Amino acid sequence: MATHPTQYAHPEALVETDWLEKHLNEEGIRIVESNEDILLYDTGHIPGAVHIDWRADLQDPVIRDYISPEKFARLCSRHGITPETTCIFYGDKANWWACYALWAFRLFGHEKVKILNGGRDKWKAEQRPMTREVPKYTKTNYPVPKKRFDKEIRAFFDEALAQSKSDKPLIDVRSPGEYKGEITHMPEYPQEGVLRGGHIPGAKSMPWKTATNDNATFKPADELAKIYLDQCGVKPGTDTVVYCRIGERSSHTWFVLTYLLGLENVRNYDGSWTEWGNKVGAPIEKNA
Amino acid sequence: MYPQKLNKIINLFETLPEDERRETLVSYADNAKKQEPREGENFDLVDVRKDEECMDTVGVYLHVDKDGKAQIRMTLGPEVQTLTRSMTAILCKGLEGSTPQEILDLASDFVTRIVWCAFAARRFITCSRASKAFVRFISTASAWRKSRSTAVSAVGPADILSPES
Repeated sequence: MATHPTQYAHPEALVETDWLEKHLNEEGIRIVESNEDILLYDTGHIPGAVHIDWRADLQDPVIRDYISPEKFARLCSRHGITPETTCIFYGDKANWWACYALWAFRLFGHEKVKILNGGRDKWKAEQRPMTREVPKYTKTNYPVPKKRFDKEIRAFFDEALAQSKSDKPLIDVRSPGEYKGEITHMPEYPQEGVLRGGHIPGAKSMPWKTATNDNATFKPADELAKIYLDQCGVKPGTDTVVYCRIGERSSHTWFVLTYLLGLENVRNYDGSWTEWGNKVGAPIEKNA
Repeated sequence: MYPQKLNKIINLFETLPEDERRETLVSYADNAKKQEPREGENFDLVDVRKDEECMDTVGVYLHVDKDGKAQIRMTLGPEVQTLTRSMTAILCKGLEGSTPQEILDLASDFVTRIVWCAFAARRFITCSRASKAFVRFISTASAWRKSRSTAVSAVGPADILSPES
């Protein structure tokens, strides 16, 4: 068996709560909160943090897609972000939406991104400072990104299908019940179901939570390597596609594979099961 | 159309711009604990459970006084989302003094009038979760009414303490 790394490939992609508390007012950083609970930021947030709503701010209001590069530039400018700003993302649900927002920022080519290890829950559990004061930053003039990096870090249906047909690594990060086709929605989210249950043929089941400790921090590099390289068959240098239901849980796994294990060519299929499970003629496996 | 107290709350929300609506919703969520049962209070019906759609337990406690007016208390588990907290607190306040029949007759459109459509549409479940509090109140009132007509017979998941009091 190959020797596994003992260090994260990009340790700089994580910041710890202790470090962040000491650097709240540091020049060149912007703390960004992104949650599932849409009023959570309003109830209190890390001092200086801005709020980015994954749906209202990052998604097109009509078409199922992301905002345009022009809108992304306006969003960043509004929050005083420049291409040189290091954005530190955190949020609820063990950083699901923080990873999703980070991935969306990468879609537009913003390179300086980090995750607060443990997210909002850890920060709060450690009784670190919170405020309801909404910060105001001087508006910047973020340049309109020349392209969206869909090809590099995002997979569409046809690409996920090609991945399946060519037996390349596909990781289904949903709950086991969703993977097996026993339920057509996330536990506790029955309104967000699809017409067919199961998984993409050839996909390995590895629920997103496998990558985290109980306090929502990420597991050490060697454990992550065992999970994804040994158990999921992911290989450095090979294309990997991750998916869930709408792409938020798989953003979490995408972050683990890309930044913590340093794998290249990892793409998030954000259409995920809500596209696949509703699509006429899409092949489905239902076995365990 | 709505009980007077609830109508006042709805009218207030409809006059507020988005940022103030958010603030007011958070303020209701902050005060949700005040709607918990107090020592010495007795209830005709207690329904505490974790619905499939909810992140955590929601408890609804109903007392109907001799004039047929409802007093409602509630408990919320720590994982219940902010909007559900807000809406549950609004319902406790807005339906205080209503009859169970008035609660059963409530039209659910007040949820979007309070939360407003643009906000609720950000995620389908947002509105659904807000409505969930309403559905629980309705089911409690319904169970109470059923208990009145069937004496102490079972009313599903709810626990009847003293149906004829």
